Amino acid sequence: MRQPRPGPESAPDLDRQASEKERRSEAAYRRLNVVLALGLITAVAYIFRTLAPSATAGIEGAARDFFTLSISVIIESLPFVFLGILVSILVQVWLPPDFLFRRLPARPVLRRMVLSLLGMLMPVCECGNVPMARGLMLKGLSVGESMTFLFAAPILNPVTIITTQQAFGWDSGILAWRIAGGFLIANLIGWIYSRHREPHRLLTARFEAACRSDEHQHAPHGKLRQSVDLFQREANAMMPALFIGAGLAGLIQVGVPRNVLVTLGSDPLWSVLALMLLAFVVSICSTVDAFFILSFGATFLPGAIVAFLVFGPMIDVKMLALLRTTFTARTLLQLTVLIALCAAVLGWGVNLAF
Amino acid sequence: MLSLIGIAATLWLAVTGKLELYIHPRYVPFTVTMALIAAAVSVAGFLMTREHSEHPDEHADPDTHTDPDVPKPGRLRAAGSLLTVIAAVLGLLVLPPSALTAEAANQRDLNVSGTLGRHQTNDLLTEEPSGFNVRDWASLLRYSPGEAYFAGKTATVTGFITAERKDPANVFYVTRFVVSCCTVDAQPVGVPVHQPGWQENYKPGSWVTATGSFGLNPNQDSTNPILMTATQITSTTEPERPYIH
Repeated sequence: MRQPRPGPESAPDLDRQASEKERRSEAAYRRLNVVLALGLITAVAYIFRTLAPSATAGIEGAARDFFTLSISVIIESLPFVFLGILVSILVQVWLPPDFLFRRLPARPVLRRMVLSLLGMLMPVCECGNVPMARGLMLKGLSVGESMTFLFAAPILNPVTIITTQQAFGWDSGILAWRIAGGFLIANLIGWIYSRHREPHRLLTARFEAACRSDEHQHAPHGKLRQSVDLFQREANAMMPALFIGAGLAGLIQVGVPRNVLVTLGSDPLWSVLALMLLAFVVSICSTVDAFFILSFGATFLPGAIVAFLVFGPMIDVKMLALLRTTFTARTLLQLTVLIALCAAVLGWGVNLAF
Repeated sequence: MLSLIGIAATLWLAVTGKLELYIHPRYVPFTVTMALIAAAVSVAGFLMTREHSEHPDEHADPDTHTDPDVPKPGRLRAAGSLLTVIAAVLGLLVLPPSALTAEAANQRDLNVSGTLGRHQTNDLLTEEPSGFNVRDWASLLRYSPGEAYFAGKTATVTGFITAERKDPANVFYVTRFVVSCCTVDAQPVGVPVHQPGWQENYKPGSWVTATGSFGLNPNQDSTNPILMTATQITSTTEPERPYIH
């Protein structure tokens, strides 16, 4: 690093130049590091996969299944997370600031109702909703309102509705209960948290700092540059959560035999709890979970399936890891208990009534 | 870094045609498109990197931690993310892509949630059975249309071997996983095959093609009243597409 030499130019100007240079060389150094790391990883991967595949042949059985299952969660969710980030960038950077909010009603209850229908316009499954909700909060949506969006959107979503309809049809009532349950629970949660006195305490310090800094960050660069920065920032924030969540989901799948769940079968209450636990563990996207649970239809009571279809999109292992980027552990625990209670009551009620 | 690993793994799998080991084929175009977009944006971001002054979450980190829930010191966090990166590289890039093993099939209930529904199975009755796969036969056996249907029919099925739980000495299943979205929801389906002493020739988990007709199970209290009495079993290798979608 060269020190600024005294010269005819004014001192602050030189300072600026120097710090600019320092930043540049720092960036070059970072870039070099990234290139080196990527080169190293590529070399290692290439050697093991192509030249010496026998070196990893020792990983068999449960260990291999753990990797297979975790990888499949990552590969399946990754594009949805990217899509969510892109939509969130669209809303944050490219739409006029008040585009969404101008159209929202002023009364909080109605506002949340409209927000819970926002998912209709954005057919993103729940993993994409987390970056989306973060973007909405940065835009100025309250914590309670963004929760309503977060929990309603994966259910009140055209793709989810179509797949559920294909799986269960209209007549069984499962689709209707799913939509109604998702709408009611999301609005209830939003209402509860809108009454919180210090909503910022629900958020992690990290995300809250991002919220605050965003208030006085007015497009220092072009929109394209801003979009790229935002993409990287959001991807960096979401990825560890996604990978850890996928690892946990894989681990639980390998560790907990599923027939334990299935044997709980046909009790009005136990079947509900068992399928909620299953939803929590398997962490599949709301857009396809109907097909997954369809095959359980013979073994389980309809209320249990409704509980699965309502609880799963809102809370599961992968979602909790993703949500942890934004909300404190305490908040997430409360949310999990609240939503689980609501879903259990709903499922139990459906079982008793029909 | 993690998203780069994810993108690289996705594209690598796509190029080698192995993406279907992890996700349903209907997601392949979407997944590849998003990975390409993300790759383009990442490259753009990499080339644009200059100042990092407006990255609040990198600088505002250590001292603004007023949240009592996140007492993580920087070093622990760094170690954690390094571990995650290593595990991701190992799992996504170093280990060869693989399908679920027979061990996973033992963990899940066979022929419970992987089979076709009752209506779809009924539709099969009018079809020509020569092209039926493991799931079709397993569904037919589950919602049995009666012995008469199976009389005189021959089936050829390919899958891996799992032992029957109650009668492992005489019966095994020719098993496949059914994947409806991604490998996480894989459900095993299997056609029971009656062959006393099969364990002498075949190991659980090995792939076979079985051709045979159906008959009554000599063991009356078994879960499978009707099963395949295989006339011919040949060893084979895992097919390119190990799952039924």
